[in-house]
Amino acid sequence: MSTAMDRQGVELLERLGKSGEGKSPQGCMQCGLCAASCPLGYAMEFPPRKLILQAESGNLEKVLASPSLWMCIGCYTCSLRCPRDIELTDGLWPALRDQSLQAGIQPPAELQETFQNLFKYGNNLGKSPRQRLDWAKDLDVRVLDLSKEPRPVDVLWLVGCYPSYYPRNQVVTRAFARILTELGVTWGVLGAKEKAVGECERMFGEEGLFETLVEENRKLLDKCEFQTLLTLDPHAFRALQKFYPQHGAWYPVKHYTTFLHERMEQLKPLVLKPVKATVTYHDNCCVGRRCESFDPPRELLGLIPGVELVEMERNRENSLCCGGGGGGMWLDAHIVAHGGHRLSDERIRQAAATGADTLAVSCPYELSRFEDAAKVTSLEGKLRVRDIIELLAESMDLGERNVS
Amino acid sequence: MKHDETLRIGVYVCHCGTNIAGVLDVEALAHFAEGLPHVALARHYKYMCSDPGQELVKRDILEYNLNRIVVAACSPNLHEPTFRRAAEDAGLNRFLVQMANIREQVAWVTDDSTEAFTKAQAHLAAAIRRVAGHEALERQFVQIQPRAMVVGGGIAGIEAALTLAEAGKDVILVEREPTIGGHMAMFDKTFPTLDCAACILTPKMTAVKLHPFIKLLTYSTVESVEGSVGNYRVKVRRKPRYIDESLCVGCMMCIDGCVFTQAKFPNPFDQGLGKRKPVWIPFPQAVPPVPVVDPEVCLQIARGKCKQGCVTACGERNAFRFDQEEQIEEYTVGTIIVATGFKAFDPSVIPYYGYGRYPNVYTSLEVERLLNAGGPTAGKLTLRDGSTPKRVGIVHCVGSRDANFHPYCSRVCCMYSLKLAHLVKEKTGAEVFNCYIDVRAPGKSFEEFFNRVQDEGTQFIRGKVADITPANGDGAEGGGLIMNVDDTLLGTIRKIPVDMVILAVALEPQADASDVRRAFGISCSAEGFFLEKHPKLAPVNTANDGVFLAGACQGAKDIPDTVAQADAAAAKALALMDAGQIELEPNTAWVDEEMCSGCQTCISLCPFKAIRHDAERKIAVIDPALCKGCGTCVAACPSGAAKQHIFGDEQISEELEGLMNYV
Ligand SMILES: Cc1cc2nc3c(=O)[nH]c(=O)nc-3n(C[C@H](O)[C@H](O)[C@H](O)COP(=O)(O)OP(=O)(O)OC[C@H]3O[C@@H](n4cnc5c(N)ncnc54)[C@H](O)[C@@H]3O)c2cc1C
Repeated sequence: MSTAMDRQGVELLERLGKSGEGKSPQGCMQCGLCAASCPLGYAMEFPPRKLILQAESGNLEKVLASPSLWMCIGCYTCSLRCPRDIELTDGLWPALRDQSLQAGIQPPAELQETFQNLFKYGNNLGKSPRQRLDWAKDLDVRVLDLSKEPRPVDVLWLVGCYPSYYPRNQVVTRAFARILTELGVTWGVLGAKEKAVGECERMFGEEGLFETLVEENRKLLDKCEFQTLLTLDPHAFRALQKFYPQHGAWYPVKHYTTFLHERMEQLKPLVLKPVKATVTYHDNCCVGRRCESFDPPRELLGLIPGVELVEMERNRENSLCCGGGGGGMWLDAHIVAHGGHRLSDERIRQAAATGADTLAVSCPYELSRFEDAAKVTSLEGKLRVRDIIELLAESMDLGERNVS
Repeated sequence: MKHDETLRIGVYVCHCGTNIAGVLDVEALAHFAEGLPHVALARHYKYMCSDPGQELVKRDILEYNLNRIVVAACSPNLHEPTFRRAAEDAGLNRFLVQMANIREQVAWVTDDSTEAFTKAQAHLAAAIRRVAGHEALERQFVQIQPRAMVVGGGIAGIEAALTLAEAGKDVILVEREPTIGGHMAMFDKTFPTLDCAACILTPKMTAVKLHPFIKLLTYSTVESVEGSVGNYRVKVRRKPRYIDESLCVGCMMCIDGCVFTQAKFPNPFDQGLGKRKPVWIPFPQAVPPVPVVDPEVCLQIARGKCKQGCVTACGERNAFRFDQEEQIEEYTVGTIIVATGFKAFDPSVIPYYGYGRYPNVYTSLEVERLLNAGGPTAGKLTLRDGSTPKRVGIVHCVGSRDANFHPYCSRVCCMYSLKLAHLVKEKTGAEVFNCYIDVRAPGKSFEEFFNRVQDEGTQFIRGKVADITPANGDGAEGGGLIMNVDDTLLGTIRKIPVDMVILAVALEPQADASDVRRAFGISCSAEGFFLEKHPKLAPVNTANDGVFLAGACQGAKDIPDTVAQADAAAAKALALMDAGQIELEPNTAWVDEEMCSGCQTCISLCPFKAIRHDAERKIAVIDPALCKGCGTCVAACPSGAAKQHIFGDEQISEELEGLMNYV
């Protein structure tokens, strides 16, 4: 006998099939490429293939209640490889999580806390909006707060939550402010008014919260005049480029690697000081695998005198995720508790295997994830984790005095 | 509408069983027709195409003096010739017949019988008004040259050429490579019977060489094709071999004599696994058995300086011609068979399989060469370091059934993967793991072969392999590999250690398929293979009359299907050539010489190069044999001199009037 819940699985798949996001999940041929490609598939009760199979077979309930529903870290490997072109990462997972939340099933506690933080403070970290500009205190370049002094600018920089609040990230943030100024662009930030973009919330299945954020950000952004919307966070970039327009909010958004890459000629004469380092670059999932921008970050690193680039075995579209996307930032404990491992630990070992002394990244999550991983894997002191911005800034003599 | 008291139109409404009568009131439709001007009589009948149906038309023509016929039935593509013939039998010019398509365009496309009836009325009225303006035309024929060209000398081209030649036709066989044989010549054994490929192929290759009616042009490609069915003028580009084929006796002494004592250049026939010298032959049984010189690496040609050991070895046969140049030869043929085959998918574009990065990841085609006694290892299956593999993984569907590469199934990979599993086991005793999504073994004796390979102990794992990674380090020589796969039947993800991986690569269209397509005026389907005229009823014809398809160039297929299709294509070509002539469609364009100003606008626009300028008379002249009746010139002609049979202004406007009255 079929219950309402039995049908719900099929209906959900049908709905996704018509969403225009990839091909219909009902076309899945159960080849298992997704499951084995998933870096955590081995630990999942229901890797993507089984999510579809179970939903189709009337077992949606089981799927919604499974801890494995909260193990996808949004790396896009399954989506990109799927031979039936099914949008698993951006389509299936969020839809199932959304359904799970709606069914009243409690997500992992860590997630609930971040939702609440975001709701209360406009950021997942639970920090006060008033501290948003703390990074800019005593900075040697002027930071224009457009929420206080509205005026047209070339670049509206959405600084992002980690880059605003985390001390380790603030170093990068300040360096980037100096580089922007050095490049002669006029730029401003939103100061205390800035809010999270909400990519993770969408991935979590908090579609409602995401839509609220889109609305709030739209109101803010529509008031400003700018040529480029700039972000250091590949996840924010992805959301603004792909999901905001679906809600009618389109902006000329760029990730900083693209933005700087377009100014290579201008950077060339400024990048003078040699930085002696053997560098391996970790492709982040959103700008890399998902948007296939692989060369710009490497070419930026290639500008720096003294830098020798080496590649990891897994690179470019085949790169291994740091484990921080799709909510993974807050889910390490959940993932490990359910038989998985921290991908950042595995990845940093791969980086070390190249013989590099520096792991270059271009995503704010990765700095702290890999620095933690370096400690756990006893690579601390052997492998430095640095954002491309830091390396550029050092070579441009714009780095933090007390850091480099 | 033209009022001509002598017009007597007979109208016939077909029921087509229930195909039409199930939706339309055929009786009422006939009654409606009866009321239209010039209609002498209107009938409806169960199957107009049947003998009694045709008889009805013939009898009426004679009895009632009908001088125009309209049949409201199916598409004219199907039965127009039937009714034209019937009219002709009764003494009426065949072009005074018009069909109204009330099946495909009416009955089959709606369930609403009221709307259908109105639309059928419109079609019928249009046909009746149109046919009133038809004129009696003479049938036109073109002669078919009794000579065929076969392009591509794989098993498809070889088979087609032999069948045509055995029927007494002259055949020109054009092959791009220095030898015929195609992919089949690379294999050791063939599924499902495990015949030795060379044993069944080389007799046919030799037959091609010896056949008096076959002219073999190897190392050649088609440069351009002009003309049309019956009279194609084909230019063939012949690459220089630097050896005179007529003088070479195939002793191969020149290869021994070459100043390079070691073969050091990758042999493409061995997929680069074996080495060759600058003067080389793809394989010992090559046809023609004439070596070829690679100008890039031959010292004499590249640098103009060499001791010419080859020439010395050739001795008084004196076959070397270092000054040979590319040549263009022209042939006129009546029919063409395109048999250019397929290309194996290059898996290096799939980063997660590590092809090109890990030395012991091979393509199936490479392994075919390793298994072949005439191949680079003399038939010994080895890893790159020369050792024998103990555990071998075979990955099915590489590049096939994958939206990122080719969405289609390549049809032969399952079977050749089974074959390879068998051969690998037989030759090395290795454990073999076949990772598949579905095993597709639907041919004759295929399932039995699958069963046999299972019984031999090959392990079958249902899952598409996700990653191939080195077991340790960077996967350099010697290190093992791990196949990472979701065993979907077991429900767990497995990491299977192997020391050799074989990628069962897809069959894809040749890299130059779109050039070949354009040259022969044929089309490609979505995946890039050449398109047949009809997927069921005209599988070897193309949209271009007189051009036929055979083998894997039309879609991935195995040798049995390829040979069957090649013979079908040969039979179709023979039918045309034996008839000796082909009737042209009457709807060709013509030029009213009085009105033509000689502006030549039409000449550049004609897609079929059917119009030329007569400089003396200063007018355009249309060759009816080349004209396909597209009407471009008619529409473009500024002085209204270009006209078209059956599609005259009056005929078209009458047809439209008829239609418009009911919409
Ligand atoms: C690894 C592998 C193993 C296989 N094993 C088997 C098996 O065991 N049994 C089986 O039944 N099938 C097998 N097949 C399928 C088999 O290869 C095909 O059915 C067969 O080769 C098709 O023959 P063909 O003549 O159509 O094409 P091809 O063999 O590809 O021959 C085409 C010929 O045309 C020539 N050509 C191409 N373009 C031009 C041009 N523009 N001008 C002139 N000449 C041109 C080529 O040089 C070639 O000689 C296998 C396929 C693969 C990939």
